[in-house]
Amino acid sequence: MDQISVILLDALLQGILMGLLFALVALGLTVIFGVMDIVNFAHGEFLMVGMYAAFWTSILLNIDPLTTLPASVVVGVLLGLASYYWFIKYLLRGPAIAQLFGTFGLMLFLRYLAMFLFGTDYRIIQKGLLVGKSLSVGPLIFDWTKLAAAILSFIAFLIVYFLLHRTKVGKALQATALNKEAASYMGIKTDKMNALAWMIGGGTVGIAGGLLVNFYYVYPTVGLLFVMIAFATVALGGFGSIKGAFFAGVIIGVLETVFPVFGQMLGSEFLGPHFKFTIVYLAYFIIVVFRPQGLFGWKK
Amino acid sequence: MEKIKEALDFSDFSKAEKIGFIIFSIFLLIFPWIGAGSFVKAVMIQFLLFSLFGMGWNTIGGYGGQVELGKAQYVGIGAYTVALMMLWWKVPFWVSMPIGALIAIGYSFIIGYPLFRLKGHYFAIATICTSLVLQDIFTNWKLVGAAKGVELPIHDHPDFLYMQFKSDTYYYYFIMALFYIAVFYMNWFRKSKLGYQLRMIKDDEDAAESLGIDIRWCKIKAYSIASAFVAVGGGFMAVYNLYIDPQSVMDLDLSIKIALMAMLGGAASLWGPIIGAAFLVPLDRFLGSWLGGHKGLIGLDFMIYAMMIMIVSAYQPRGIWGIIEQFRKKR
Repeated sequence: MDQISVILLDALLQGILMGLLFALVALGLTVIFGVMDIVNFAHGEFLMVGMYAAFWTSILLNIDPLTTLPASVVVGVLLGLASYYWFIKYLLRGPAIAQLFGTFGLMLFLRYLAMFLFGTDYRIIQKGLLVGKSLSVGPLIFDWTKLAAAILSFIAFLIVYFLLHRTKVGKALQATALNKEAASYMGIKTDKMNALAWMIGGGTVGIAGGLLVNFYYVYPTVGLLFVMIAFATVALGGFGSIKGAFFAGVIIGVLETVFPVFGQMLGSEFLGPHFKFTIVYLAYFIIVVFRPQGLFGWKK
Repeated sequence: MEKIKEALDFSDFSKAEKIGFIIFSIFLLIFPWIGAGSFVKAVMIQFLLFSLFGMGWNTIGGYGGQVELGKAQYVGIGAYTVALMMLWWKVPFWVSMPIGALIAIGYSFIIGYPLFRLKGHYFAIATICTSLVLQDIFTNWKLVGAAKGVELPIHDHPDFLYMQFKSDTYYYYFIMALFYIAVFYMNWFRKSKLGYQLRMIKDDEDAAESLGIDIRWCKIKAYSIASAFVAVGGGFMAVYNLYIDPQSVMDLDLSIKIALMAMLGGAASLWGPIIGAAFLVPLDRFLGSWLGGHKGLIGLDFMIYAMMIMIVSAYQPRGIWGIIEQFRKKR
């Protein structure tokens, strides 16, 4: 294989690996939106909390970062439930604009709480079973941490997918997403389903945070980048669509890694790696303007 | 003439509001002479500037009900136009500021056209996206100073044309004049045809459309007015700070602050953005300077900020002015 195709293949595969993680981040956002019609701006901050939870568990208990996943799931679930019962519930009485600003306030609160507690330092996990090790297949090199994160994200996504499609509670949740009133006539309690959506949202993004911290810096404002990626992902997949979140996550991941490669080949000032997230923002804008329902969306 | 008369007509306000506004105006007028320190003066200038931003946001965000979270890109356009034209061609502030506003209006039409196909959350996120894209471009574009930003050439002696003064008092009176122009304009705007159309759109888009209102065009017009306001403020920021970079004039935090002040004070009311700015700017600055001395307390100011947003959005989405009105009605 010649140089360029190796670089492109590498970018493509790295993009797919990142994309699987993006999909898991977007899953919670799309579930919450599907059930409640609320866009959770604090979703990126939930991820940040999951990352810090894994980081500190690993440092303080001196255990491998990969074994801290249960801690970040528990923290994520608790955070989701606490946000719903102590705050989001009260927003539902007000107009949509209040809900938007409310979750925005939650986002700022969590971000600056983290800054208050942990300072603005960038922290990264230094040692661990997989940290710093890589797998080479021919000319391609993969970090084990990224590989593990992608595989575990995929498994987590599948588990949640089957929980939502095969269990009674999952079906009740989907029924609520499709039609709140009809579902409540069937004896499904909307309040419980809302709480469940926030629980799933918090839990999945907690896992994603726990996986991400293995190879990514954690700092208080890390959430903004990932929430924007999640918005683009959810918009591309269709707001409320779970299947959509998966495929869109992978597409966004690939876009974000392959695009800078093209940019570098063309040697343009405006297509380089600095702009890899700019393309994600642009993608969101273009998708919602031209195809607001996304790839698999059913809500407009 | 008719329009100016309408802009100066405050007769539909209650007596308390009128008296309050007059007292407030007298205070603003004599403020530089009451012997306040330079820090307090700087806070007052910030307050007037953010009131101006907030009133601009109020046209589209308050009266139009469209949650706009990308105003910082227009602050950036205004600031960069003034700074770059001064640096490259020595263009006086009084020429470059209106040009900045015109560029902002043109740009707002270009992105407003696709943007207003969107509603609600989709719109809010899209405005953040456009602002972040522009910030990314300016952060990496070497011609405009990239992340390092632009330093304005400093003149040896005060120069009215380039808005360079030794004392903050001149800046204070200039921004105060802009503030009053904005207040009178908004007073006219809320009674104008566009003002009523926007409120109708906010209440019920379908009903507004069936009455023959061109919704998208109305929103774009309000959006460009808001952008012009904000760009003028941005131009002032450039000459006042003498230094701009993408972080200080285009950051998302700035967009959020602008929208928040208007929301917290009370969107869709004339006094709302002013009250919001009067509340948040001093809080921000005094808390910031007080906490700056305590290294362990970083972030606490924004936490208090965020808690206020959360409480207001859960308890009274119409902001502080909404609470005041609620209280008045009860009596």
